[in-house]
Amino acid sequence: MFAAQYNGGSRSEARLLSAILVVAICLTLAPVLRLFVEGVTYQGDPSLTLMRDVLAQPSTLSALKHSLITAGCGTLVSLVLGSAFAFLVALTDLRAKAALVFCLMIPMMIPPQITALSWVQIMGPSSALLKTLGIAPPLGAPQPLYSPEGIIFLLGIQHMSIIFLTLRAGLRSVPQDVVEAARISGAKGLRIWWQVVLPLTLPSLGAGTAITFVTALGNFGIPAMLGIPAGYATLPTLVYQKLAGMGTTVLAEVSVLAMLIGVVAVAGILLQRLFQTRQKLHLVGSTSRPLVLPLGKARLPVEILLWAVIFAILVLPMFGLLATSLIPAYGVPLRLDTVSIASWQEVIFRQPSTSRAFTNSFGLAMGASLVLVVICFPLAWLMERRKNRLARLFDSLLDLPYALPGVVLSIAMILLLIKLPFTDATLYGTIWIIFLAYIARFFAVMFRPVQASLKQFDPAMDEAAQSVGASLYRRLRDVIFPLSAPAAAAGAILVFLTAFNEVTVSALLWSSGTETLGVVIFNLDDSGETGMASALAMTIVLVVIVLMALIQLLSRRFPKGVVPWQT
Amino acid sequence: MKSVLTSSAFALLASTAIADTITLYTSQPNADAQRTVDAFMAANPGTEVDWVRDGTTKLMARLRAEIEAGNPQPDVLLIADTVTLEGMAQQGLLNAYSSPEAENYDAALFSPKGFYYSTKLITTGLVYNTGVETAPTSWGDLSDASIKGQIAMPSPLYSGAALIHLATLTSDDSLGWDYYEGLAANGVRAQGGNGGTFKAVASGEKPYGMVVDFLAIRNKADGSPVEFVFPEEGVSYVTEPVAILSSAKNVAGAEKFVDFLLSEDGQDLVLDMGYIPARDGMGVPAGFPARDDIKLMAFDPAEALANADANKAKFSELFGAE
Repeated sequence: MFAAQYNGGSRSEARLLSAILVVAICLTLAPVLRLFVEGVTYQGDPSLTLMRDVLAQPSTLSALKHSLITAGCGTLVSLVLGSAFAFLVALTDLRAKAALVFCLMIPMMIPPQITALSWVQIMGPSSALLKTLGIAPPLGAPQPLYSPEGIIFLLGIQHMSIIFLTLRAGLRSVPQDVVEAARISGAKGLRIWWQVVLPLTLPSLGAGTAITFVTALGNFGIPAMLGIPAGYATLPTLVYQKLAGMGTTVLAEVSVLAMLIGVVAVAGILLQRLFQTRQKLHLVGSTSRPLVLPLGKARLPVEILLWAVIFAILVLPMFGLLATSLIPAYGVPLRLDTVSIASWQEVIFRQPSTSRAFTNSFGLAMGASLVLVVICFPLAWLMERRKNRLARLFDSLLDLPYALPGVVLSIAMILLLIKLPFTDATLYGTIWIIFLAYIARFFAVMFRPVQASLKQFDPAMDEAAQSVGASLYRRLRDVIFPLSAPAAAAGAILVFLTAFNEVTVSALLWSSGTETLGVVIFNLDDSGETGMASALAMTIVLVVIVLMALIQLLSRRFPKGVVPWQT
Repeated sequence: MKSVLTSSAFALLASTAIADTITLYTSQPNADAQRTVDAFMAANPGTEVDWVRDGTTKLMARLRAEIEAGNPQPDVLLIADTVTLEGMAQQGLLNAYSSPEAENYDAALFSPKGFYYSTKLITTGLVYNTGVETAPTSWGDLSDASIKGQIAMPSPLYSGAALIHLATLTSDDSLGWDYYEGLAANGVRAQGGNGGTFKAVASGEKPYGMVVDFLAIRNKADGSPVEFVFPEEGVSYVTEPVAILSSAKNVAGAEKFVDFLLSEDGQDLVLDMGYIPARDGMGVPAGFPARDDIKLMAFDPAEALANADANKAKFSELFGAE
């Protein structure tokens, strides 16, 4: 009798698993497949002519070169900044670490086009800041940020938190005993770091670097704001310019470009996986006590230096943004008698696109978080319970839509949804195409934390519930969900913040009435309404900081591991 | 008495009729588009307007994609130039409408069949940052080697006005393509629309430029350190026409919108926003010379339409733009 019941249970599990898997695969992998098909066919027949033509264009080659240069050097900048912060925060006795980490996380949560907008305001001949300091460049001096160097610098700042987070996680697993042993043998500060700590953290450093490179490669906001005015195109901005200027007539052509970005990105992802498998170092010893190396006399100068860096990359640009949003016309210096809140009034209260975008971004971010919880949570559990071949394959591929640059996913989505199969309908130009793209893109962001928490889950509990006759639904609801809720919450928070600030995907998919906040800022600046763009950007920065602060304040009530930047 | 009652009843019915909506695609700056829409909705209660703003070229790309997907969104277009609309009219994408307001307009300013109507005159001239030593007075001054690399202009690949400007100057005997080759050699940056160009000049990043008149004159009044010049050779001009799409879902609402833009009230608003109105017998905004004193360069819309793609291609080649 029990056996019969158990079999019934497992049959329903198998059916549910297959059902959810099909949905998940349609959402995440179908677009990528569709893109691949587009690239290797020409007018319906398999052929490589299109690919050969596009890859031979000089604009393609120069954009590829620009992409590799900016992403590569930008990663180096991130590496230097992020690892310096990580080593100092994780290994030494600095004060106010929590505040430092919080401030360090803000640049990652601020959309890249806002980062770019704010930096442009504080550099160049019209910078109120440089004028006040008397070091403004002369009239006609180029805006230094409209250059590859400017893109590299800002990409470096934007992604330093990724290096910081991965490296800090690695540093935490360095056992105290190893360092103690080195010290007993007479090694001093820097030598311990160079000969003991650094080698142990190389795998996480490598993995972090690879992720950073792929993220920088797919970044659209920064190269669009800084590169387009300089006539310096990277692959994502080239795709955007072609699609925006020519419409869907060039869809086949941009598919090839998207695949090219995809190939480079996949190489980066494979590299990261290689590093991650090597991370299984067998370290003996407890990792419960974090390392604390006393800085001694150097502590105060180091603290001042770190906070100065935070000030320069976070506070200064924000002041630039604020100043620009408060002047009546471009080029007017900001003084008490010139302050005007016209830009704020116009963009917040009169422009319909702003309130539309707030509604859209909020709705998309909320909707994506909710739908992903509903899909990922049972799927992760069932995949944990019964690994069939399809589930394993899906597990190894589900990171693709997130790891691939947003431009690639957008083009894939357009190809897939511009003509719905078996009907005349299209989703192109509707909010649903953006929504589905978000679901695909952020699937991994939600799935991985939930999966990790369920891996630690003892199946005995579930079996106990099953033996007393609890149905599958009931077990999911009363036993498994409560146990992995913190991880799901963490995933939902990350999905919400990322989707709320997203610009790359929506820049290619928006249409009348479906603008997202990222698109509105980009378009306002593009049409010369910098004051309005700055006012809106300030508003979004405030919203993000308030959201982050709320989570930080509530973090004491959450179980460990909910808040992404406290792991 | 009875007729008064019925007519007032009808008026009531009309005002409480279900709000109908028109969708507008426009290349006007955001704030102006909002003012236009607000004024129209105040004059026509019950008709709502949803609008989207982008550069003319991008808007057209978006519209083409929508038409291909079989779902064109807008009812009305209000974009920079008549050339784009003439092309659309020839493809049967526009709806002919005879507006009763047309009699107050010069026949050159609207299509004889009523496919589109000009709403204002926007000229492109020279702009410079007041911090420079010498003010330019003619188009030729931008080729002067002493200001190499300090000039910005809008790209014809993005802006409708810039494409007309290119067509006007290149078909001028004394300027022609040689002039644009000179600009390319002098390191002129051609990127994005007029907004970005104005920003570069006002911020001093590129102290010289070509830009549409109202941006410079309006911002100068707000305190921007810029000066606008009508060059000796004359100015190119676009007329920001309005048109109804043949695929419009709300033709009645769209016609109301066209009538409003062409009406005296609509044209007063144009004047108030700092543009030269297209309608006969209107003044010019503060800061502009009298309308008769503005020298317009010769311009042939048919020729511009025929050459549009060739011009864009030639321009991309010269300026290395993608």
